[in-house]
Amino acid sequence: MTTPLSLICSNRPDGAVVLAVTGEVDMSNCAELAAAADQALGRGPGSLVVDLSAVGYLDSAGLKELLTRADRIEIVASGVLGPVLTVSGLTELTAVHGLEPPGRLDGDLPTQPYEPPS
Amino acid sequence: MAGREDDEESRWPGAASGGVFAGNDEIHQDLAAVDWTATPLGPPQAWEQSLRTAVSILLSSRFPMWMAWGPELTFFCNTAYRRDTLGRKYPWALGRPASEVWAEVWEDIGPRVTGVLGTGKATWDEALLLFLERSGYSEETYHTFSYSALRDDAGTVVGMLCVVSEDTDRVIGERRMATLRDLGSDVSVARSEERMLAFAARQLAHNERDLPFTLTYLFDEDGGARLAAATGMAPGHPAAPALLAADDPDAVWPVHEPAASRSAVVVLDREPFTGLPAGAWPQPPAQALVVPLLQQGSDPYGFLVAGLNRYRRPDEATRGFVELVAAHLAAGVGSARSYRVQQRRAEELAELDRAKTAFFSNVSHEFRTPLALIMGPAEELQARLAGAEPQVREELEVIRRNGMRLGKLVNTLLDFSRIEAGRMQAGYERADLAALTAELASVFRSAVEAAGLSFDVDCPPLPQPVLLDRGMWEKVVLNLLSNALKFTFDGGIRLTVQDGPGEAVVTVADTGVGVPEQEMPRLFERFHRVANVRARSNEGSGIGLALVKELVALHGGTIGAASREGEGTTFTVRLPYGNGHLPPDAAVGADGTPAPPSGAEPYVQEALRWLPDPAVPAEVPGQGGGTSGGAPVDVVVADDNADMREYLTRLLRGAGHRVRAVGDGKAALEAVHAHAPDLVVADVMMPRLDGLQLVATLRAAPRTAGVPVLLVSARAGQEASVEGLDAGADDYLVKPFSAAELLARVRANVELARLRTQHARWRRALTDSMQEAFFVCDAQGGIVEANAAFADVLGFGPEDLPAGPDQPWWPDAAADPEGHRLVAEAFAGPEERSGAGHILPLRHRDGRPLSVSASLARVQDPETGGQMVVGTLRDVTAEQYAIRRESAVAALSVRLSRSASTAESLDGALKEMGALWQARHALAVVFPDGGRPVLTATGGATDWSALTAEHRAALTALRDGPPLTPSGDGHGGVGVGLAHPRGPMVLWLDLGEQRPFTDQDVNLLSLLAGHLVQGLSRAHQIDQQRETALALQRAILGPAELPEGFAVRYEPAARPLEVGGDWYDTVALSDGRIGIVVGDCVGRGLQAAAVMGQLRSACRALLLQDPRPDRVLLALDRFAANIPGAMCTTVFCGVLDPGSGRVAYSSAGHPPGVLVDPDGGVRLLDQGRSTPLAVRAVDSRPWAQEEVPPHATLLLYTDGLVERRRRPLTEGIDRAGAAVREARHIGVEDLAARVMDRMAPPGGYDDDVALLLYRHPAPLSVRFPAEAAQLAPVRRALRSWLNQCALPPQTVQNVLVAAGEACANAVEHGHRDTPGDTIRLRAEAQQGSMRLTVSDTGRWRPPRPEANPNRGRGIALMRALMQNVTVTSGPDGTTVAMNTGIPR
Repeated sequence: MTTPLSLICSNRPDGAVVLAVTGEVDMSNCAELAAAADQALGRGPGSLVVDLSAVGYLDSAGLKELLTRADRIEIVASGVLGPVLTVSGLTELTAVHGLEPPGRLDGDLPTQPYEPPS
Repeated sequence: MAGREDDEESRWPGAASGGVFAGNDEIHQDLAAVDWTATPLGPPQAWEQSLRTAVSILLSSRFPMWMAWGPELTFFCNTAYRRDTLGRKYPWALGRPASEVWAEVWEDIGPRVTGVLGTGKATWDEALLLFLERSGYSEETYHTFSYSALRDDAGTVVGMLCVVSEDTDRVIGERRMATLRDLGSDVSVARSEERMLAFAARQLAHNERDLPFTLTYLFDEDGGARLAAATGMAPGHPAAPALLAADDPDAVWPVHEPAASRSAVVVLDREPFTGLPAGAWPQPPAQALVVPLLQQGSDPYGFLVAGLNRYRRPDEATRGFVELVAAHLAAGVGSARSYRVQQRRAEELAELDRAKTAFFSNVSHEFRTPLALIMGPAEELQARLAGAEPQVREELEVIRRNGMRLGKLVNTLLDFSRIEAGRMQAGYERADLAALTAELASVFRSAVEAAGLSFDVDCPPLPQPVLLDRGMWEKVVLNLLSNALKFTFDGGIRLTVQDGPGEAVVTVADTGVGVPEQEMPRLFERFHRVANVRARSNEGSGIGLALVKELVALHGGTIGAASREGEGTTFTVRLPYGNGHLPPDAAVGADGTPAPPSGAEPYVQEALRWLPDPAVPAEVPGQGGGTSGGAPVDVVVADDNADMREYLTRLLRGAGHRVRAVGDGKAALEAVHAHAPDLVVADVMMPRLDGLQLVATLRAAPRTAGVPVLLVSARAGQEASVEGLDAGADDYLVKPFSAAELLARVRANVELARLRTQHARWRRALTDSMQEAFFVCDAQGGIVEANAAFADVLGFGPEDLPAGPDQPWWPDAAADPEGHRLVAEAFAGPEERSGAGHILPLRHRDGRPLSVSASLARVQDPETGGQMVVGTLRDVTAEQYAIRRESAVAALSVRLSRSASTAESLDGALKEMGALWQARHALAVVFPDGGRPVLTATGGATDWSALTAEHRAALTALRDGPPLTPSGDGHGGVGVGLAHPRGPMVLWLDLGEQRPFTDQDVNLLSLLAGHLVQGLSRAHQIDQQRETALALQRAILGPAELPEGFAVRYEPAARPLEVGGDWYDTVALSDGRIGIVVGDCVGRGLQAAAVMGQLRSACRALLLQDPRPDRVLLALDRFAANIPGAMCTTVFCGVLDPGSGRVAYSSAGHPPGVLVDPDGGVRLLDQGRSTPLAVRAVDSRPWAQEEVPPHATLLLYTDGLVERRRRPLTEGIDRAGAAVREARHIGVEDLAARVMDRMAPPGGYDDDVALLLYRHPAPLSVRFPAEAAQLAPVRRALRSWLNQCALPPQTVQNVLVAAGEACANAVEHGHRDTPGDTIRLRAEAQQGSMRLTVSDTGRWRPPRPEANPNRGRGIALMRALMQNVTVTSGPDGTTVAMNTGIPR
């Protein structure tokens, strides 16, 4: 059983393709997201907008799929996903719309910098 | 069978791979499982032959190998490589690009691989240092490996094969061995502690890899530690303080651990451990080992702090290495300290020696003047009185002869001190050694022949002269000859001079008594005299041979001795020819003409006086009749000096006494035995048997015990005379003495002896007739006299007893200090002439203890004036035993009757019996049926396995022997078998060495053991009753397991009952809600508890049937009405929804619940109240509802917690609320303890108390199988719980993602091998913080973002979203823990 996820692809009036994601994304269903994104990317040469506004949960498995396609997609997300998208660096790789100004989040981030072990 | 094998093969996973991975090992299966189509190599069926061959070689080899093939250098390895090197990377590594597999060392090995692929030439690296990530940390490893090219079917280089062996253990082992070897490489440094430590520090500093830093601390006398050496650490670093106080709990290093000889590990994760030196590594140590510098049999010298290499796991080998280093340091410190002590002692001795030499030198000089003034006039008188009567001439001759002898002694001493001081001036001249020596021999011939010995002189002329100081050489030869004469009684003396190679050899050989072998090394030592050998005279200073040796040495020669006891001694002197051996400034005179030896006469005269003088008859009886005062008596005179012997003889004969003169103690003894004299006059120093021994021998034999002895000695001083009198001499005379003094003493002693023997005979007859033991002893306890009954009582006659204190019939001071003190006090205590009765513990000669009734009196010895004790003794052992038995039985009975359990009974009995027999330990072993023996002991071993095998065997034998029959082991241990309610038991007493256990003791032990059996049986019944009662009580009190979020406390008022009238209860209802009950029955103790048990059960049943608090209480009203004593019980009954925190409740007259909000607000649950149970008939009861907000605490209790006399109840309730409010952020379990503590009255609770706490929400605890599909439901549960905690949405989201990552990690990695294992998630809110833990049972894989970017990002997310993220990995699994603050 995978976590329920709804993926709806549509064209915006300006021609951009929008993939609206609803539900939660984790390791059990991230492959579905990847497949839908690839299919949507195949629909046209333009950029793909992945709309995560209705996603209540997104973990590193889902992030990986977005990161690997970062140069071809834009993202719309609600503020609740802000820390995850910021920490993962996705906000630096592509445009992310709908978040609160990043300054507000800085205060919540722990001061300890992350260092991968040598 | 071949056909079968085909079948088998078709089942192998390898079959699908075209047989490339055909084989049954795990690695074949794992290789086959790789999705090869996803690699550039494609499906194995399509692999070219060269690849197949390479793979099959790889897999069949048992030597560790890996290979890489194709454009991505796809990774293969064999089983040996997997085992030795790959570690946790297996099987993930199979089929991956090699650069990914060994990403962490690719920087090192990449160029080598490229080189092989480019040139086709093989590489070779020996013991290359590589940091591998295979064990969960960056690990220091060494590998020896070779890369060689692999070619495809067309011959192109397409891959590489690596044959590798890991050298890590060898390299590190050799490195550590080198350090240990270097530490011991310079033994000379051991002389000073500072040099030793500095040297050791230099050696330790060489090994920066194993020991990035070390600190050596040495303990001061006050227990503090002082830094003595450091390596790797800069001076003044805060982690290396110069001094560590002994009692400072915040000391940088834990001083108390090594002080107690224990090692300790210190984790270096705090101040002052920042900025520690890293040694040879990029990162400083993460741990340090503190190891004591152990000292054999004493406290440690100090300790070593060793910073550990963080790139190696700190295993046993590491610890062993550090301990060896510490052992070396400890040995070094020990030997340096002992060297220092020895050095100091040697200096002190040398100083003493110098002082002594100076003293001799001074004294000898002072002697010469008076000597000259004696000798001059004496010789003049001799010349003038040449015609006088013979006796005058004889006496003048004695004066001259002895003056000469004294002069010789003084000269010898002076020579010696000159040599010692280096001031001996030798005048060398060329001499004819043979002629000179023969001349000296001829002077001595008369003395040798007078002794009846042969004298063989063989001195042929030598080819060349010898440079000699004539005076010194005379002393050499004369000393050797007189020495030979002194110790030779038969045979003869032989003197030879011979020519040797470059030297002249002179030997003096005798056939005398010889020198015992053990004395040979000290023969030439100053003042050393060979003891207990037969000699012609006991005279001598013990410096003759030492002087000879020094004199020979001044001539550049040597002297040696060879001897066999009873056969003779040969001295050999070797003198070199020429003058090469002499000091350059030595004066060499002209050849002198042989002159007669100048200093020989004293030697010859002395030797002649050792010989029996035929001129003086040994005995002239009947000479002289009338003496001045008193009858003539028989006297034996014993002296080895002929002059003295003759002088004494002449004096005594002149006084009319009969004299027998002998030359030593043995001859004196023979003379006494032949005919008992009236008096013995003896010198103290005599050959064969000296004066003291002579007295002792005479006193030991009854026949001669009464013979009076007058000792004469040259040894002056108080000690010498005391020694003589102690030995039993009647009087003591010191040389020089006057003739009148000697005669007066002789007369007095003879008369006293006559009187004494008369009185003694009479007294003996009297005392022997007494039935009680009678004795006289001196103040020290030494028995002077005793009668026959004394020997009957104690087994000792006076002749068996030593002088002085610590008599063998006294209790042993070490084994029985109390008894010894008692006896010593009794003997020291009695007042003058007043009898005093004592019961004293004495010892019979056979070791058996006696109880003796003693009457003692102190009297003054009328002769000496000394204090004496006279006393009588009566053996009262049997009477005392009867008393002791009665009191022992009574004492044991009292102990047993007071004991409330078998354990207490046994413990008390052991103490009682141990004390009774003054046992070192008493122990009891119970052998339960088929179980392990159980030990109870008053000391010593506390466990059966800690006993020696012999002891265990002895105990087992007693168990199997007849009961109540004591038996000893012959080494001071005694035991008895008896019946314990749990099985056979053996009771054992360790009495210590040589303590007799008498028949009476055996009877008493048997008797007491019998009483003990009865006592144990009674106590056992009590035990059983109590256990039954306890089990029943616990059953009626409360639930065995509390739901999450609850904590309870219970304190019954009536001890030892464990329950009272109060109770609490929680009931899990079927809809997930929880029933909560706290009640209080009237009264306390057992009766109230019985009522409580029924009400609790009823309330529980009612709640399960209809979970509405008001109806439950209504039903309980009816139930209580039928139970006597249940009326007026108060009950609080509530039903809690743990999801929402809503609680519905109803109270039957119970004090209100207290609700403390997270902000500190206190509310009371005081609605829904009605009367206590069964007070009046009611149709309904009220109920109310309250919501417990997140992080709020609910307190329910009984009135015992809050009710205090003369205080309003509300005050107590307020105090309880305040107590909860103060600590509302700590966990409920701790909070319950805190509240009980805060509320306790000064003397403790005097009423039953029940207390129940609930914190909302209860911690979330979820277990789920390790499957990806479980993540969403777990997340839902967590989200719902987080919402109960009233957290801001962003915090909820952060926690959810962090928890999701931890769970995904556990699913994906922790359980890659065993999917479906259980993962546990726990979330808990307390102290303003949310704590989340995810535990699994799998192996954790350290994050390696380059290998798996996805997972590394997961960890990064956790760290970014939460605080204090820790990953703890152990053999049982991995736990991820993290925190986040709860905004208030």
